[in-house]
Amino acid sequence: MKMLTLLIVAAAGFGFWVLGFSSDPTRSMYGYLFGFVSALTIPLGCMFFVLIQHLTRAGWSVLTRRVAEFGMAVVPIFAVLFIPIVVFGHDLFPWSHTGHLDETLIKKAPYLNMSFFVIRAVIYFAIWTGIGVWFYRKSVEQDLGGRFELTKTMGKVGTFSIILLALSTSFASFDWLMSLQPHWYSTVFGVYFFAGCFLAGLAFMSLMLMRSTVPVTAEHYQDLGKLLFGFTMFWAYIGFSQFMIYWYANIPEETEFYLHRLEHGWSPVSYALIVTNFFIPFFLIMSRHAKRNKSVFAAGCIWIMLAHFVDIYWLVMPTSGAHHWQDYLVFDVAVLIGFVALFLAAVAWVMKGISMVPKGDPRLPESIAFENY
Amino acid sequence: MHRGDVSLEEEVTKRETLIRGGLSYHDVTEAVCKMPETPFLKSPKGWLIGFTISASLMVMFFLSIVYLIWEGIGIWGNSSPVFWAWDIVNFVFWVGIGHAGTLISAILYLFRQKWRTSINRYAEAMTIFAVICALIFPGIHVGRIWVVYYFFPLPNQMDMWPNFRSPLLWDMFAVGTYFIVSLHFWYVGLIPDLATLRDRVKSKTAKMWYGLFSLGWRGSMRHWLHYERAYLLLAALSTPLVLSVHSVVSFDFAIAQLPGWHTTIFPPYFVAGAVFSGFAMVQTLMLPARKWLGLKDIVTIKHIENMNKIILVTGSMVGYAYGIEFFMAWYSGNEYESFTFINRAFGPYAWAYWTMVSCNVLTPQLFWFKRLRTSITASFILAIFVNIGMWFERFVIIVTSLNRDFLPSSWHYFSPRIWEPIFLLGSFGLFFTLFLLFVRYLPVIAMAEVKGIMPHGDDHHA
Repeated sequence: MKMLTLLIVAAAGFGFWVLGFSSDPTRSMYGYLFGFVSALTIPLGCMFFVLIQHLTRAGWSVLTRRVAEFGMAVVPIFAVLFIPIVVFGHDLFPWSHTGHLDETLIKKAPYLNMSFFVIRAVIYFAIWTGIGVWFYRKSVEQDLGGRFELTKTMGKVGTFSIILLALSTSFASFDWLMSLQPHWYSTVFGVYFFAGCFLAGLAFMSLMLMRSTVPVTAEHYQDLGKLLFGFTMFWAYIGFSQFMIYWYANIPEETEFYLHRLEHGWSPVSYALIVTNFFIPFFLIMSRHAKRNKSVFAAGCIWIMLAHFVDIYWLVMPTSGAHHWQDYLVFDVAVLIGFVALFLAAVAWVMKGISMVPKGDPRLPESIAFENY
Repeated sequence: MHRGDVSLEEEVTKRETLIRGGLSYHDVTEAVCKMPETPFLKSPKGWLIGFTISASLMVMFFLSIVYLIWEGIGIWGNSSPVFWAWDIVNFVFWVGIGHAGTLISAILYLFRQKWRTSINRYAEAMTIFAVICALIFPGIHVGRIWVVYYFFPLPNQMDMWPNFRSPLLWDMFAVGTYFIVSLHFWYVGLIPDLATLRDRVKSKTAKMWYGLFSLGWRGSMRHWLHYERAYLLLAALSTPLVLSVHSVVSFDFAIAQLPGWHTTIFPPYFVAGAVFSGFAMVQTLMLPARKWLGLKDIVTIKHIENMNKIILVTGSMVGYAYGIEFFMAWYSGNEYESFTFINRAFGPYAWAYWTMVSCNVLTPQLFWFKRLRTSITASFILAIFVNIGMWFERFVIIVTSLNRDFLPSSWHYFSPRIWEPIFLLGSFGLFFTLFLLFVRYLPVIAMAEVKGIMPHGDDHHA
């Protein structure tokens, strides 16, 4: 799609959302947060992918890497899109209601307070912008040819970058999702969020590659598909572990998370997630043929991406406490479309005039000749 | 050690040759088969000494078990509120050690990491022996050993069943499955190499045994096709097992309501820790063995460096988990949670906690330096530290969480008696005995697989 079309779609999405906002700002801000986090998981997933490729000195993935680099290079726009969340933070985060805090939240105030929240967000965006833009630039710089030392440099910078990325992603998920229910906590939450990011990044990359001119073959799709398949299981594994441990011990402050997701019409969604986010993608892309068949694999990627958005919705929306959350569903979908379209428009803008393949990468021939065995 | 023969261009464009020293297929066979083909009476002195020591420790272990059964578990220092101590620490420690083998043979296989071929046989054997050591501890730690068969859901006229909601039962299934699948995986991989030995050995008895276990392998195309298919399927089955086994072990703790045990990051954190400790143990055994068995060209510095990188990655994951646990103990606002963690770091077991942190968090970070991760001495020393640290990790989790429970009047500082170290040492004796027998009688390198990744095996090889 053209950049202009995407921008129009984005404007329409956000425009429609504003209608909802004008009637119920608080409820609509939950939708905004949902759309924001959903779209943001794509560049974060791309970032993890790119860093892992550099660190493992991967050869097979060189052809597929540039689309991920486009995805992560646009992360700065999310810093701007975060501003409304700060402005309306009071509507979203119960811990921001200073003066009405219970004993536990007062204890947590040194961490959960607006100024520190903003400082942390600035740090996260600084890290993500640094990684996203720097690795993108270096990779493009290598397109000019022959600069093999850049491969080594990216490998070296990748080391501490991935540590920063892992920590910032985890803490961002604590801040923006977990603290929506400020009494609730789970040590594995950051890992759960990471699994979702990685799925979103991989699905985005695969879909972009299908629409691009990059000479990827069924071999590359099969490998991306294997990763998607593996991380589908990983997501389910982490989700199950968290549920299992809290269900079994049955401590009220911990089961609160699941109780919220079993009332006000949420229980069908909660049970459906097991099927939509695990069983369906599991069987859909398990077969080698499915991963190598473009249409089937495309269906798998789209499904995984949408299911991932439902997962984020399920993390955000039940905390709004709204009894009739379905009433605003259409606005939530609109704002998600707005975010995704804006993200894609930014990607389209970055892509202009840049090679779709890291053509200066010394391991490119290996990637072109790559075959599964 | 600097590998000076690699230029920048070569380093980034080419893949380093994994098997060095210009070995031919035949040289590999000779190097690997040398030990199994040596008659018993000509066993190397070092092996005999090592075997005598470890077999003695193993006998001591078995005798101690007899004494334990005779006298009861009161011979250990376990007492209220620390009902679980070294017995379960050793169990978790040994299960963890096993994980490297499965990771190398299954996950690295699926990731097409060719370097795994030089170390997989070794690591898989280690997995099996470690799981044997592990399974002994839950078996003997029960008070009434004569009803230990209650572990198994055996149909009986009393309609007595184990509690299916008990994680101890899940453990039995998880570790049992793991043992069976790992054993099959290891054995399937061994078949072509056993056939090689069958065709080479002179002694009639040896020929009979190798022949029996090589299942009539002739190396035909059809055999290879079946073999590859079976190997891929076993790899696919073992991959989730790498994660499930230690996750279930972590459930033993995590589903309880005890602060310090009950936390959701336990499953992935235990898995990372298991792989971490497993690789450290592979290094500990591999580094001396490659020297003594003359396998330096098959297990090169490259392999050692790669293993160190995995130690670094998994060690960092473990460090992440420690950090998040600590943060969340505070963030929870739950005074019991924060107390447990402050007690760990500054309470009576602070020495154990800081041993754990320095060995598991700081030590692996040294592998950021290429000079250290390519140095054999450094790798060996740091691997030993990791082994120590990972034993202490389980000790810290189990004992420090228990010793100061919800009732301050029952707080009790646990100290082991003389028997605990004897059991731990004895389990090492069992492990090393099995391991030395493996080194002596079976091909320690997967010859067929190594040959498959040598340059001669590549169509494009000039």
